[in-house]
Amino acid sequence: MDVRLERLSKSFGTNLVLKSLDLTFPERKFVTLLGPSGCGKTTLLRLIAGLERASDGQIFFGERRVDHLTPGERNIAMVFQSYALYPTMDVAANIGYGLKVRGIPRPERTEKVGVVARVLEIAHLLARKPRALSGGQRQRVALGRAMARKPDIFLMDEPLSNLDAKLRATMRGELKRFHLDLETTSIYVTHDQLEAMTMSDLVAVMDQGIVQQYATPEEVYDRPANLFVAGFIGSPPMNFAEVEVERADGAPVLRLAGRTIPAPAQFDLAAAPRRLVLGIRPQDVRMAAIGEPRAIPGTVWMTELIGSERLIEVEIAPKLRITAEVKSEIRAELNAPAAVAFDAAKLHLFDPGTGRALPRRA
Amino acid sequence: MTAREVAGRVALYALLAAVTFLVCFPLLWAFFTSMKPKEEIFHWPPTLWPQTWTLENYRSLLEGKDAYFQAGAASGTAVPPSAFFLDWFINSVIVTIGTTIISTVVSTLAAYSLTRFRFPGQRSVPYLALIGYMVPSIIFVFPMFLVMVELRLTDTLLSLILGYVCITLPFCMWLMWAFFRGVPIEIEEAALVDGASRLRVFWEIVLPTAWPGIVAAAIFTLIVSWNDYLFGRVFMNSMENLPLTVGVMHFFDGTHVDWGLMMASSVLMTVPMALLFMALQRHLVAGFGAGAVKG
Repeated sequence: MDVRLERLSKSFGTNLVLKSLDLTFPERKFVTLLGPSGCGKTTLLRLIAGLERASDGQIFFGERRVDHLTPGERNIAMVFQSYALYPTMDVAANIGYGLKVRGIPRPERTEKVGVVARVLEIAHLLARKPRALSGGQRQRVALGRAMARKPDIFLMDEPLSNLDAKLRATMRGELKRFHLDLETTSIYVTHDQLEAMTMSDLVAVMDQGIVQQYATPEEVYDRPANLFVAGFIGSPPMNFAEVEVERADGAPVLRLAGRTIPAPAQFDLAAAPRRLVLGIRPQDVRMAAIGEPRAIPGTVWMTELIGSERLIEVEIAPKLRITAEVKSEIRAELNAPAAVAFDAAKLHLFDPGTGRALPRRA
Repeated sequence: MTAREVAGRVALYALLAAVTFLVCFPLLWAFFTSMKPKEEIFHWPPTLWPQTWTLENYRSLLEGKDAYFQAGAASGTAVPPSAFFLDWFINSVIVTIGTTIISTVVSTLAAYSLTRFRFPGQRSVPYLALIGYMVPSIIFVFPMFLVMVELRLTDTLLSLILGYVCITLPFCMWLMWAFFRGVPIEIEEAALVDGASRLRVFWEIVLPTAWPGIVAAAIFTLIVSWNDYLFGRVFMNSMENLPLTVGVMHFFDGTHVDWGLMMASSVLMTVPMALLFMALQRHLVAGFGAGAVKG
């Protein structure tokens, strides 16, 4: 079942948290709402769940309008950040509570709970209370609660943020698997771009109550729609530098830190403003030999080893530093002269006035 | 276990035994005295273990007025105070249970709304309630008596119930408020998503979680209303309407004190509370502990 939001707004007092959102979550897709804290992503999820009332606009599940329904009437399941297991009930009762509320008789309930528990490999924990479970086990019980009910829509609010890094990596895969088995539309809220990138079919990047870009993870990463998305997605973050568009022999070139670099062919600069913001991911920057044509010289400002890679920050102009992510074998002396070079095909260009990416050639 | 640890254990248990003896001796003394006939109570040197066992004291307390009247006491002699003991006991039980039910139910609902709904004063009410509890109840008792006179409630059990509710409710509410603040709202939302109605969520999810707090609040109310002397003394006047604490004072009649009756009454007053405590002590510790940490 798809989920459709039409001109959805929400304000708390005078604070407008969501600003007239139009968004469709396609059937059976895994969609992630990604954004920094306070961007409105959790509020949006709670509106879909029915835990908050919209100030304006409509929510549809398929053809059914649901924004006047209680959470229980929407046939959704939700996994909370804190898991929100019922502390006084054992695992079996936790998983079966939704069935019990719906008046399903005990024998049938027991059977369904048993099936879910076997799938999630928590059958041996059914008689335990939540406080006697580890974080990963609680997570599974929370998933079991969702699974037992066969919901139309599956909502998750940062479900992995309370787990340690190793378990988080395992659970990412399990959640994705779980989504495929459940065959529902899943909506997942996170501030962790790695989770968004690895699990989603579609990512809605949100900031200040507005969806900044809604596309596949590849698209969001390779063709960020604006400066916010470009800076938010990717680790370490994208390098930004101001450039000026000039003409040399009729062809447009970019002036960066007193050097000239050819304009990237993927952008049509005919209608572009004179000043632009250039973006380049550290992964697309390489260390060049000093004196190499088209390389930009500077001095090494800082280096950091991050396992198999090394980050080298090169100061190419006062207060303007470019970070390169290179193989850890490549070493650099602090304050030594160095040069960086970019692959023009990987450059991003933004209009500093609007923040939007320049249109690309088809 | 090392010798050092054994020595530590021995010292600890010796200390506990000494404290236990200190606390229990008066109770044991009261019990044994209540089982002695009058002559033996004043025997010198005193005996701890009764030489003659008798239930006479308990009989005169528990047979009640009716037995006295049936025995032909209508001949004009005054009814002895001990004949009212059963009335007093029942009064105390009614007042205590009534107060406990009202205080616990109202404070639980009030505290829940204080933590879950937004309204003006939501943040200040719990603290104001606590300030109210810091004022000694003797300051309230006379103004309250005047109110009871106005309401024509003096000398009724209802006046006592209302009085005790007034002094126990604020603290109970504060206790439950501290408790509910520790109950995450997500578990209620999870139950709503699971399809339960608000009322069902409160009944099946919130109340079981808050149970230790409710027990703590109930015990606090029980103790206050069972032990109170002041309100009973001021609000009540007819013999058959007194609570236990005020009633037993009639065993001191100016010329002599009936220690046998006094001790038997003490035993009968103490036993129900002691049993209750033993049954609920686990919840009590959990309840006050949670309140202390979260509050």
